[in-house]
Amino acid sequence: MSKYLIEAKNLTRIYHRGSEVIHAVDNVSLNVQRGEFVSFVGPSGSGKTTLINLLGCLDNPTSGTLSLADKEIFGGGITLSERLLTRIRRNIFGYIFQNFYLIPTLTVRENVSVPLVFYKKKGVVDEVDKLLELLGIANRADHLPVEISGGEMQRVAIARALVNRPEILLADEPTGNLDTVRSDEVGHLLSDLNKKTGVTIIMVTHNPAIARLGGRIINVTDGRISEKTSV
Amino acid sequence: MISRLHIAYEDLFRKKTRTVLTLIGIILSSWVLVSLLGFNKGFELALNRDIDNMGYQVMVMAKGCPYEAATMMLQGGRGLRYIEQSMVENISKEPEVEAITPILMQAFFDPNKGESGGIAGYYGVQAKSYPGMKPFLKFKSGGWFHEDDAPQVVMGFEAAELEQREVGDMILVPEKNVELKVVGILERTGSQDDGTIFVPLKTLQKIAGTDKITTIGIKIKKGADMAALEEKLYKLPNMQVVSFTQVKQTIMKLISTARVMVLSIAFIAIIIAMVGVANTILMSVIERKQEIGILKMMGALPGDIFRLVWTETLILCAGGSAIGIVLALLFARVTDLVVRQILPYVPNGGLVSIDVVLALETFGVIVAVGLLSGLFPAWKAGRVRPLQTVKSE
Amino acid sequence: MKKYFKVITIFLFFFGLPEAFAAIGCDLNDPVRDVARLFPGSSGYKMRYASITELGGEPLLKKIKERLGGNSKVLFAPIDVPYTIYEVYNGSTKLGYIHGVNQKGQYGGTQVFIIQNLNGTIRNFYIQKISGPAAAKFRSPAFGIQFIGMSVKDFGGMDASTCKGKGRITKVVNPAPEAEADFMGIMRGLKKNLILMDEFVFSAGAKK
Repeated sequence: MSKYLIEAKNLTRIYHRGSEVIHAVDNVSLNVQRGEFVSFVGPSGSGKTTLINLLGCLDNPTSGTLSLADKEIFGGGITLSERLLTRIRRNIFGYIFQNFYLIPTLTVRENVSVPLVFYKKKGVVDEVDKLLELLGIANRADHLPVEISGGEMQRVAIARALVNRPEILLADEPTGNLDTVRSDEVGHLLSDLNKKTGVTIIMVTHNPAIARLGGRIINVTDGRISEKTSV
Repeated sequence: MISRLHIAYEDLFRKKTRTVLTLIGIILSSWVLVSLLGFNKGFELALNRDIDNMGYQVMVMAKGCPYEAATMMLQGGRGLRYIEQSMVENISKEPEVEAITPILMQAFFDPNKGESGGIAGYYGVQAKSYPGMKPFLKFKSGGWFHEDDAPQVVMGFEAAELEQREVGDMILVPEKNVELKVVGILERTGSQDDGTIFVPLKTLQKIAGTDKITTIGIKIKKGADMAALEEKLYKLPNMQVVSFTQVKQTIMKLISTARVMVLSIAFIAIIIAMVGVANTILMSVIERKQEIGILKMMGALPGDIFRLVWTETLILCAGGSAIGIVLALLFARVTDLVVRQILPYVPNGGLVSIDVVLALETFGVIVAVGLLSGLFPAWKAGRVRPLQTVKSE
Repeated sequence: MKKYFKVITIFLFFFGLPEAFAAIGCDLNDPVRDVARLFPGSSGYKMRYASITELGGEPLLKKIKERLGGNSKVLFAPIDVPYTIYEVYNGSTKLGYIHGVNQKGQYGGTQVFIIQNLNGTIRNFYIQKISGPAAAKFRSPAFGIQFIGMSVKDFGGMDASTCKGKGRITKVVNPAPEAEADFMGIMRGLKKNLILMDEFVFSAGAKK
């Protein structure tokens, strides 16, 4: 059994825009251990979002291989169907985004419960209220998204992403729409979750302070990566 | 724990105005369809009821009678064709005949009715055979006459009201100035009997100065071959046969063209409503593309999304259809009144008959057509890729 | 096709019979012709429906009952019967009213119509329907002319049972003593007609 949860080798993603060929991810190889908190930083258009889309099985690479928990996902030039990618994703990943994407007509508790309507991982018990407690939003359980703050909405999104006990939490600019104070809160929350529950976190961020909360920082420039010890 | 139904319901009512307008379209088309189908059924039932109220299924009369009937109405019985009463005996021997009754329809001119006079019509019937044909006739007061030559009458409800008669009062046959005593007044039947004055057959024959009759009413034995009897009756010289089955078929044919046309319009209305449904759901899917992408990231398979969106269609169509059917039931009387204004002939009694089976059939049709119309938006929703959600940020 | 029409004609004849008796209320048989004949100088009419239920309900019924003569079995007005009032016009100028009631006669219902001026006096009298051998006598102009100029005041004191009273009605001559029941029916009909019109129209003030 490999010590790495994520093993990516020579991952490449090429787009064609008319006659232009864009190497959004160019020959990236990296490994992530279980329980790591990895932050990807880099300027806009550097390819960091494309990279985590590939790592998060949201897209097929043009070439290269990806293994998750010792299972080869991408490789051998085969393109996986959306259906298959969904089956893979729901067993391994939880996602949070800059825009929260809560369903406006459902309460906080109902929003967190939505993933369980479609899929319940084996062994997962409905512990929505416990999650709400853990994330400090139990008192908002019956409120609608429009009635809570941005920071609270992101906590709801995090709870929703965790409800099926994913192995990896993928966070794309989770503090992008929050002020400094709330950003700091959410950043520390993710850090605490990583330490307490051992969930592996892959995060994309522009915020150096938030990036430093993780144990590992990877710089992405023009589709290529380089490890950083400091930002 | 929430359910797919809950999510679908909440999704639908995010845009209340749009959903309500789409619902109204479904409600109206459902209302029209079930009312029309109810009318189809009710009209035939009411027609059967009217025909059953005649008491007999076949009538025999002299040839040319229908045109003479118009003459009789205008001129008071002159030129009317009669048939021999002995014909009754002959026909009663046929094995298909359960009961038979001779009838004499006679009218007399009343110069004191209106400015230029009018006619007064009387129905001469046999005391022993006619009441047996119509056992369902009930009396408000009094009863049938017992003798065929008694100087008596039985009056229909409305005839008695018009003439302000009670049992024991007298009426005077105009032209002949013969007094007859009212011995019975019928309860309202909602049929032509309400306006009829029944006279013992021999009494009317004596007044009219004839021993003949105008019509023979025949009740057929249950299970007997009506067509066979009609064939035999057609062979009678100078006679014509009218079966009420024939009458019913003719009337149904008369209105069938109108029914087909109106039903077609109803179906077009349904299709238009369903296009509205497809549009509403499709717009909702397009607006929620990002959300659908997120749902897929949460673990919803394309089939789950398809079912979720299709459930929204189901809620719209089932809800709209149910409300439409309830409204049709509540306003059945109004529909009845409207139809009576439009059609030249309508049977008595309720015309719109909506029962549980019909309601369920209509519900099924609307929901089935609705689900068909929801296929494309649901399929489109199932094909949304999560990546599009992220890219569109 | 011929058979088709025969069948329908027979059917409509049988099911059309009620039309001969359908009008239980008291409407003119041919309003266009009748209004012009009964109200010379008129150019048209409007029909209005009035019932005791609509115009006053139980209190009005009670008042009308008292005016008719108490709980008389021979003279009464049902609460829900719609009465047709013909408002007669010449152009846009109202000239008067025509109204009919159905009253029991010896051999059938007698339809008694009065034609009234705007002040309620009778200007014409018409029996649309009456049964019996004396019918022609009651329909003759000589009988009807006796009521011209009378009003509800003349009939107010008339006893409903005996048809006796005071004033002008004592001078009314029965042209057919052998048909006393018909004569009394007509007198009762007149009283009812005048009282109903008084309540529906002449006492209604602005509702005229």
